[in-house]
Amino acid sequence: MGHQGLARLAPRRRNATPGKIVRRTGALVFVALLGLVLAHVALAGDPAGLSPRGPDSPQAAKIEGIYWLLIAITGGIFVLVEGALILFVFRFRNRGRSRTLEGPEIHGATRLELIWTAIPVVILAAIVAFVLVKLPGINSADSAKAAGPPLIVKVEGRQFYWNFLYPNGVIQVERMRVPANRDVKLLINSEDVDHSWWIPALQGKFDAIPGKTNHLWFRADRRGTFEGQCGEFCGYEHPHMVAAVQAVPSSDFQSWYDREARAQASGTSDLGKMTFDGACATCHGFHAQGAFGPDLRGNPILQQPAAIKTLLQNGRNKMPAVGKGWSSRQMNALLAYVKRFAGSSGGG
Amino acid sequence: MAVRVAPDPASTIVSRGRFSSWLATVDHKRIGIMYILTSLFFFVAGGIIALLMRSQLARPNEHVFTRDTYDQMFTMHGTTMIFLVVVPVFAGLANYLVPLMIGARDMAFPRLNALSYWFYLLGGIVLYASWFSGGGAARAGWYSYPPLSEHAFEPGKGQDLWILAIHLTTISSILGAINFIVTIHNLRAPGMSWMRLPLFVWSIYVYSVLILIALTELAGALTLLLLDRKAGTHFFLPSKGGSAVLYQHMFWFFGHPEVYIMVLPAFGILSEVIPVFSRKPIFGYKAIAFSTVAIGFYSMLVWAHHMFSVGLPTGLNIFFMLSSMTIAVPTGIKIFNWIATTWRGNVILDTAMLFALGAVGVFTIGGLSGIFLAAFPFDWQVTDTYFVVAHMHYVLFGGSAFALFAAFYYWWPKMFGRFLDERLGKVNFWLYFIGINLTFFPQHFLGLLGMPRRVWTYNHHGWWAAWNLVSTIGAFVMAFGTLVFLINVVRTTRVGRRAGHDPWVADTLEWYTTSPPPAYNFDKVPYVTSARPLRDLRRRLQEGSVHA
Ligand code: HEC
Ligand code: HEM
Ligand SMILES: [Cu+2]
Ligand SMILES: [Cu+2]
Repeated sequence: MGHQGLARLAPRRRNATPGKIVRRTGALVFVALLGLVLAHVALAGDPAGLSPRGPDSPQAAKIEGIYWLLIAITGGIFVLVEGALILFVFRFRNRGRSRTLEGPEIHGATRLELIWTAIPVVILAAIVAFVLVKLPGINSADSAKAAGPPLIVKVEGRQFYWNFLYPNGVIQVERMRVPANRDVKLLINSEDVDHSWWIPALQGKFDAIPGKTNHLWFRADRRGTFEGQCGEFCGYEHPHMVAAVQAVPSSDFQSWYDREARAQASGTSDLGKMTFDGACATCHGFHAQGAFGPDLRGNPILQQPAAIKTLLQNGRNKMPAVGKGWSSRQMNALLAYVKRFAGSSGGG
Repeated sequence: MAVRVAPDPASTIVSRGRFSSWLATVDHKRIGIMYILTSLFFFVAGGIIALLMRSQLARPNEHVFTRDTYDQMFTMHGTTMIFLVVVPVFAGLANYLVPLMIGARDMAFPRLNALSYWFYLLGGIVLYASWFSGGGAARAGWYSYPPLSEHAFEPGKGQDLWILAIHLTTISSILGAINFIVTIHNLRAPGMSWMRLPLFVWSIYVYSVLILIALTELAGALTLLLLDRKAGTHFFLPSKGGSAVLYQHMFWFFGHPEVYIMVLPAFGILSEVIPVFSRKPIFGYKAIAFSTVAIGFYSMLVWAHHMFSVGLPTGLNIFFMLSSMTIAVPTGIKIFNWIATTWRGNVILDTAMLFALGAVGVFTIGGLSGIFLAAFPFDWQVTDTYFVVAHMHYVLFGGSAFALFAAFYYWWPKMFGRFLDERLGKVNFWLYFIGINLTFFPQHFLGLLGMPRRVWTYNHHGWWAAWNLVSTIGAFVMAFGTLVFLINVVRTTRVGRRAGHDPWVADTLEWYTTSPPPAYNFDKVPYVTSARPLRDLRRRLQEGSVHA
């Protein structure tokens, strides 16, 4: 059999048409989308995801600095590489020449190889240097400007909520209250499977791993509530494992902190509700009306603290051991809170 | 220069012999085709799962599936695409091509070769059968981190069957790798020195070495996990003194070489296709061959860049940042050499070439986002988010799968004696090209907005919802591309244009024999004097005719 080369030239030209149509439609879609993006960015302040959230802490600001450097450098590389590719392909395309016609016998060029090995090395070294310069202020406190000594909070990841333990015994669930403009150090740990603590506007992720304690520093630059969600797959309610950091002025924080400590010690705080809303409502609903887990309203077990305690500490079937390792303070607060559902009938 | 007259394609590969002769075959070409068709089947299965997942994520609080089903789906999708599609399809291509490219009659161990195919198929069957086991399929993700994958949190049989399925495919890959290494060492045509080896064969050589090192190690890790689950040990159970982080190290020591197991053969394909359709020799043969080896070596030194948020000592994080940046250098070298190959060429934009150039262009985006991930403080922001999903699909779909489609369009005529249709091929390409960018580019933004991966729903509107919708639309565009490809395959088995033995006027020995080749491949193999033996032969014949 001979070569099909020349014979194939004619049909090939015709073949290009449907490709072109698809290409044009594609280009149109792209232009439309791009227009949409720009219009929206111009009109609303709503972040579209073109850069990391925030930054609302010096740590997040430094990470964002790395991001913009990388955007600039990789953007340049992108334009050069894709530009050369498109240019060469366009410039040297077949254009009706014989399909068997060969280009020049160029087997390589040692000097070119050296150049395009050395230039990336230099660029990457520059990136590494920049990261290393920024690193200390991300990895640890940026203490120079912080007001007061750091607040240290213990963060426990659990299926499927976050527990926060403060030095004075205060317990919080899902929503962490911190003073603005003060360094906060988190000691992150897990009681069951791997989770990951992540509030994008304040810091990167740090995993909560059983048997290991991770440290993370941040300092909220302003008051406000910063949201995030668990960053490591931890089971079927992973998407609902949310977290928030609420930064309040330092003086407000201090008065809340002392008041809350007294209230929790005397059992008059809303710790029970907070625990239920954070740890149980994902599955049982805020009013215990049932969702993924059963309706608890009117369930006689709610009157039997010992039975609930066993259930919470050991789990059963699809219900995880949500209360494993709880302090008696938290357990009692919850037990007291769930009693209110014992009366309301499930059928209603 | 035709060595022998091509037999009628219709009466050969596909229909030659009865069904049972396929079951018992030890012919590398038939085994290769069985590998390829099986992995295409799983590609479609994994793709359907992906479409279902994207449907679930199209809008906030969508309820196409339960959370439980969704977790099984992403686990099965990832496991399918990695262990049942990309790794074995390269084994299939290599099975078909390596002996032909090096002028051998078969692989070194034909029976072992058949065995590795059957282990692969068995692994696939076990994995898919696990949907129907008590408790359903595994749902801890393709890397199945303990404690979540331990018995206490994942009591179903699915996780055990998942381990079994991975073990089976691992055995298959290891047997295959041994076979490739021995074949490449011992069965090369006379004159084919290492510096005359086709670049695809180079890549398969490194692929095989990495499989031997990485997959054996994975088998070890999964065996420990299985012991934890079944025999009451606690290697990875911190509550009993084990270490959950140890598993992560063991997994990623396999996991990163694995990504190069999945991409080096794709690079090899590009290094074959681009020169042929540029009508030029490959630019920098040695640079490409050595960078393949360098990437293989470095790929074993970067694993903990998947673990930057685990809380390793800062010194280690810095080391793994450096090594990950280093591996970008040989990768860049390859890209520059491919682009230089087109320079001053006669660039023929057939479908195979479009896919190859598309792979270069799209993979570049994945490589660049890899640099972001290697800068570990930034990785702390985006690890385990959709940003990483975007990155890995730019490299895996854009790199590996695009190259694979280039391979299909390029070698299909050799395998089946008929061309795939060019017109459908181009539609296939553009749908994929548009689809991949629509699907995965917005996922970078989703990651930056704070969307973690492996979530079955989200409760955010605005841009978060908008990008997800765009992504889902893109997934369906790609699905149409796959449909067009399948139509192309089915149609051309009957009406495809016949291909001669060397339809692309190519350089390597597989085009020296008929399409499809006879069972024994070659009557006689020419003495190899360069990396482009077929072109040498062509020129010698031309010169001969000039003198005649
Ligand atoms: C991840 C979902 C989930 C979470 C979180 C969860 N539960 Fe459950 N819960 C379930 C499921 C599922 C069951 C049914 C268990 C079974 O099949 O036996 C259940 C059962 C129960 C029962 C037993 C009902 C009965 O009749 O025996 C009680 C009481 C209960 N949960 C209370 C709680 C409390 C209190 C919390 C929070 C501290 C909580 N659950 C958190 C899913 C959950
Ligand atoms: C330029 C070269 C590359 C660099 C620097 C790079 C870097 C990285 C880094 C740092 C991560 C970790 C991200 C994280 O967990 O947050 C990652 C993830 C990943 N990469 Fe790459 N990469 C490169 C090329 C590739 C290639 C060629 C492939 C495969 C074909 C690949 C496949 C993957 C996959 C599958 C993941 C996801 C792992 C997971 O499930 O979390 N990468 N890459
Ligand atoms: Cu989680
Ligand atoms: Cu890696």
